[in-house]
Amino acid sequence: MADVRFLIVDDFSTMRRIVRNLLKELGHGDADEAEDGSVALHKLRNGKFDMVITDINMPNMNGFELLTQIKSDDKLKHIPVLMVTAEARKEDIIAAAQGGAAGYIVKPFTKATLEEKLTNIFRKMGWA
Amino acid sequence: MTDTASHAPKADGKGDIYQRLGEITRELHEALKALGYMPALKDAVGELPDARSRLEYIARLTGEAAEKVLNRVDEAKAEQQKVIDSSRQLVETIGAVPGLKWAMPELLQWSSEIQAAAERTDHHLTEIMMAQDFHDLTGQVIKKVVALAGTLEQQLLQLLIETAPSAGSESANTPAAPESARRPELSGPVVNPEGRSDVVTSQAQVDDLLASLGF
Repeated sequence: MADVRFLIVDDFSTMRRIVRNLLKELGHGDADEAEDGSVALHKLRNGKFDMVITDINMPNMNGFELLTQIKSDDKLKHIPVLMVTAEARKEDIIAAAQGGAAGYIVKPFTKATLEEKLTNIFRKMGWA
Repeated sequence: MTDTASHAPKADGKGDIYQRLGEITRELHEALKALGYMPALKDAVGELPDARSRLEYIARLTGEAAEKVLNRVDEAKAEQQKVIDSSRQLVETIGAVPGLKWAMPELLQWSSEIQAAAERTDHHLTEIMMAQDFHDLTGQVIKKVVALAGTLEQQLLQLLIETAPSAGSESANTPAAPESARRPELSGPVVNPEGRSDVVTSQAQVDDLLASLGF
């Protein structure tokens, strides 16, 4: 499996830590964190990341705004974005998919769900 | 030619709605004064900051508790991994010595049981870690309630200012909504999904919805 560098974006440190630990358990130890969309965008523009896992409801810049920024930036738009969020409205799920999200996970979620979505994305990206 | 458009209600009916809302507000002011509810309203406004700080206290303490659990889980998982690795080595070592395997088959059985139990415990630890996501979910709800209490406090204060006998309502300008309030509203965790068709209640429903749309 490819060596993938993740950026985990969530305003709750607990959730960032949970996702980071899960990634480690799934064999992906290379990850950095950001507490909102604007910090994430800065890190993405100044570092090298292969994939973003982001919450939606965050201060300063939310996950939808981050997704839009990533997909409208020629240097970043190739990066798959997996939304992991408590937003359960159908219109939000559809908006994320139409905005170019590579996957959508509703909280609370399981390790198996994260593994399944990552496998799907890895396959699409040719990383598996 | 007479300009009738400026006097007629707006085509979308909003003019009527605003006029009616204005009337309701005035009636509410009068009713509050007449019924003597102003002191109670003042007390309610005074208690809102306390309610907010109590909620923030709950959010902070549950967050700290979740972090403590995660710290312990990290330590326990590291220890558990050592048990898993050692028991695996034990199983391999005993299995590789035929004399030992046949002379004391219990050794192999016990070692295998320790390895299996250690792996199950590691799985439980992962579940305990995952359960700490309650801090994120409840925290989001608390944040919304704190923001709601803030808005309520601001509006009640405005109402108090406007109904105060000495202060003129002309001088009381409604403060501008904070930037966050003007952003599109996100609903956060669904507290009561029963009877709602606009939300999903499981990951399977998310996957079905996306699949039905060809994603």
